[in-house]
Amino acid sequence: MNWEQYIFEGKPFEGIYIFDVHGHVGAHKPFQLGGYDADSVAKTCRRMNVDGVVVSSLPALASDWKWGNEEVAASVDAYPGLIWGYASPNPFYEDCDITPYLDLPGFVGVKIHGDMQGSTPVNDPRYFPTYEVANERGLPVLFHAWLSAEVRAAADVARRYPNTKIILGHSGMTARDTALEVARTCDNIFIDTAISSTYDNAIEVLVDKVGADRVVYGSDICFFDCIHTMGKIALARISDTDKEKIFGLNARGLFSL
Amino acid sequence: MRFFDASCRLGRPAAFGEGMPWQTDEILEIMARCHIDGALAYHIVAREGETQDGNELLLREIAQIPQLQPQWCALPATYDEFLHADALRDAMKENGVRTLRIAPKSFAHSARPYAMKELMGFAAECRVPVFFDYGEAPCDELYEICHDYPDVSFVITNTAYALNRWLGPVLDACGNLYLGTGNYVPHRGLETFCKYYAADRLVFNTNLPTGSATAAVSLVCFADISKEEKELIAHGNIERLLGEVRL
Repeated sequence: MNWEQYIFEGKPFEGIYIFDVHGHVGAHKPFQLGGYDADSVAKTCRRMNVDGVVVSSLPALASDWKWGNEEVAASVDAYPGLIWGYASPNPFYEDCDITPYLDLPGFVGVKIHGDMQGSTPVNDPRYFPTYEVANERGLPVLFHAWLSAEVRAAADVARRYPNTKIILGHSGMTARDTALEVARTCDNIFIDTAISSTYDNAIEVLVDKVGADRVVYGSDICFFDCIHTMGKIALARISDTDKEKIFGLNARGLFSL
Repeated sequence: MRFFDASCRLGRPAAFGEGMPWQTDEILEIMARCHIDGALAYHIVAREGETQDGNELLLREIAQIPQLQPQWCALPATYDEFLHADALRDAMKENGVRTLRIAPKSFAHSARPYAMKELMGFAAECRVPVFFDYGEAPCDELYEICHDYPDVSFVITNTAYALNRWLGPVLDACGNLYLGTGNYVPHRGLETFCKYYAADRLVFNTNLPTGSATAAVSLVCFADISKEEKELIAHGNIERLLGEVRL
């Protein structure tokens, strides 16, 4: 079957490696979700033949960093090989050290959401110890990147740590063109597809501007349903090879899986 | 699975991102790619202010396109800015228009029943479905108008994710409120909605060109619901609503 047949017959893709670089567990206040725990994420991933998803904890980003990172650890522990973990620091706590989490099996990267942490720019020096650890260990760093200022701050981090793979979450969303601009100038920047409110052809534009090798599937599950992004990629007018790279082959290299 | 899009937009936008498929032939291409047999379309000129001229532009734009059916933008005729009920009925009947779109916030008028009396009275009498985007009316006003006009089917479009707690009580109280699926993207959103409110209150739409049809069809096709529920959402519910119109 081809991509179109899978979709219109409502059958999950088969024989495609799918790895979601942008997931979450945990609740966030404005959203009434269809389940926000690891069980719900895992259930959907298995139903849709998703091979793996890296999650950060919404509470780790928006409230209690320690409680939230523990939530990620429990999720990874419950679904080894399916759910992988991002550790998330909080720059307001001098005692915040996420290396114990990064030492745990299944933690494969760092997620930073400066906007949820007092609108702190991600190039704030208080985040630097975390970047040093990520750089030393070769761990990707996923940034929430929605606005132009957020994209530019992430690019500054990318330039300071050229050996660290940076993922611009949401493709910059309202600042997509800025995201594409910095990706063209920083080889260590990748773009994820967690673009909740965008038009058709957006995936084609990403591939055209930065190349399919630099675009990775991210869904923002359990904020969002992981399916809408799948559909945008699968029905995009790009080659099958490019679709497979975006769905998982790029992430496999990025996370050394 | 075939789809009927309950709401998309035509016309030249003031601004757009690179690649956004706003031209009518681009929209038709995406519809074909997404197995969307037909659509209700409104015109951006009507939606952004020149209501009657925009509605006329729409008719000219789709005259030779059988897949597209007209959806007129409307506002209260308080200052004779829009057609009064009798004239509106005649014009809609003459031009094959079966749905209306309102935008109270954008057009700076109240959505409360006292302010919409003539227009909603007409919609109720003729069973004309009324569409509007999420955010165009506060939920309290939405509740009042749904409650006071139970014979009008209201379809809320251009939804997002942080709306369930707002809409839930209105959905509970008013069986005439429907949710457009375009950009309704909460995790397991369709499944959750079907569990609490049933599939017969979901209406497939794309929000083209700003929304994504590829995402919209995928959400329905892959949803963890029955084939029958998918058929209702994809085309059955809107076909039923359109079939009830009596002009």
